[in-house]
Amino acid sequence: MIEVDGVSKWFGDVVAVSEVSFSLGAGVTALLGPNGAGKSTMLRLLCGLLPPDRGTLRVLGRDPRTDLGVLRHIGLVPQQETVFDSQDALDFVRLAAVMHGVEGPDAAARAALATVELDPDDRRRLATYSRGMRQRVKVAQAIVHDPWVIVLDEPLTGLDPRQRRHMTELFHALGDQGRCVIVSSHVLDEVERFGSDVLVIAQGRLAAEGDFRAIRDLMDDRPHRLRIRTDQPHRVAGHLLAAGTIMGIEMVDDDTVLVETTDVGAFRRSVAGVARQVDAHLWEVVPLDDDLDSVFRYLVGRP
Amino acid sequence: MTVTAPGSGAAARVRAPGSFLAVYRLMLRNQVTAGRLVAVGALGVLGLLLGAAVAASTPVDPVDAGTTLIDHYGFQVLVPVVALVFASSTLGDLVDDRTLVYLWLRPVSRLTVAAAASLAAFTVCLPAVAVPLVLAAALTGGGPALVGGTAVAALVGVVGYVGLFSALGMRFRRALVWGLVYILLWEGFVANASRTASRLSLRAYTRSVLSEYTGVGLDQASLPFAAAIAVPVVLGLVLVLYTGHRLRHTDVD
Repeated sequence: MIEVDGVSKWFGDVVAVSEVSFSLGAGVTALLGPNGAGKSTMLRLLCGLLPPDRGTLRVLGRDPRTDLGVLRHIGLVPQQETVFDSQDALDFVRLAAVMHGVEGPDAAARAALATVELDPDDRRRLATYSRGMRQRVKVAQAIVHDPWVIVLDEPLTGLDPRQRRHMTELFHALGDQGRCVIVSSHVLDEVERFGSDVLVIAQGRLAAEGDFRAIRDLMDDRPHRLRIRTDQPHRVAGHLLAAGTIMGIEMVDDDTVLVETTDVGAFRRSVAGVARQVDAHLWEVVPLDDDLDSVFRYLVGRP
Repeated sequence: MTVTAPGSGAAARVRAPGSFLAVYRLMLRNQVTAGRLVAVGALGVLGLLLGAAVAASTPVDPVDAGTTLIDHYGFQVLVPVVALVFASSTLGDLVDDRTLVYLWLRPVSRLTVAAAASLAAFTVCLPAVAVPLVLAAALTGGGPALVGGTAVAALVGVVGYVGLFSALGMRFRRALVWGLVYILLWEGFVANASRTASRLSLRAYTRSVLSEYTGVGLDQASLPFAAAIAVPVVLGLVLVLYTGHRLRHTDVD
């Protein structure tokens, strides 16, 4: 449904998307990457909101930038919170339905609002809506015309846990109906809930793609750095090194040592036992690079 | 939710009847804010007060005095400023607050969106300037020629300025500033400097219409009547086409 071939996009000297290629079919695909990685730019390219500077991009075999007809089959939840504040939810979604040529736009708008658990008869202006309610209205306008390709840029932002679960189920249901649903997020756990195929984008490049579990394993297998604070850092680190649990040591000061391991699970299981064994007090064990940015940096930098 | 098959590979023609009206209504609702209404209302009331003041001064030639007032206040200030405020914001506000995406990502001709937006600005601007100006012209005692000339010149001016400032709003981020530069510097100074420059000033056309009706000679009012009517109208329409073109090729946030 989506074919992206060697697409690059730059703004002045800044390369936002670099030589990205992938293809997507039906189902839910998560676009994962840290803030500023190029996710939103990629999604804007997919919807034709921006022209690529290099490469080609096709949605349902057509160019979304120049072919108005294909926009009938695309729904987008943009990242920005702003909506038409002078309208109420029903008017906002109905406008989308009318402009997409939906038959019975009023009924379609009501159904879409009901799908996201909003009251179509709530005639308050959107300006009075909470962040989460606006987010749901944005989802409603993106699905009111039954699009085949649904692009959602950080759609769970501002939603409470129950609504997050409901939206995740909705995205899965849409994917199960044969639609191509692409959801961006910078939150790893959020993407895990989508339980789907993943595209990892970092620094404008496609860092990894495939099944989420495989990518998660890849992320877990990378070298991890941890800081250990103990009254006997030399002995603790020495025993861990001898056992093959860690592969590098860097002494920081009298009670702190940095260690590197490729097997965090084994390290976690053994560090307390080693401390007991050498009669050391373990004060602190802190992972230093578990944030997403370092994960993405690793993925981009690996061969 | 029903699932229907997507169109064939060929560019399917999309029919979205009612889009023009839907966008038009949206734009009207977006434009008419309390702050703008108060500001425009105040400008209109000021025009009425000036008209009454001219009448109260019992001028020797009421037509001349009334024409001068309508020209200076109406076509130098009220018409361009009101058109700038409404027309530059009609699409410009959507660009600024990043809501343009909700119109752009629809299978609707960009010209339809541009035309609906410009018509909405025209709908708001025309009564906002024509009503107080016509009333002010009547108050001055300038007679039916002044009233008629004011009405026609206001209509022609609003068409031209709305087209110009709608396009400006789509072209520039700070359209209000660029519009003021045009009104104050170009129309206020540069257009006075040469005959050629005055041809590129909408004010010369509205002045020519007013002068034709009242017979009062005004600076830059030397254009043939037909040209004074046709040029702003054609310019306005051409600029709507340009706005649609810009909309089609713009990068959308």
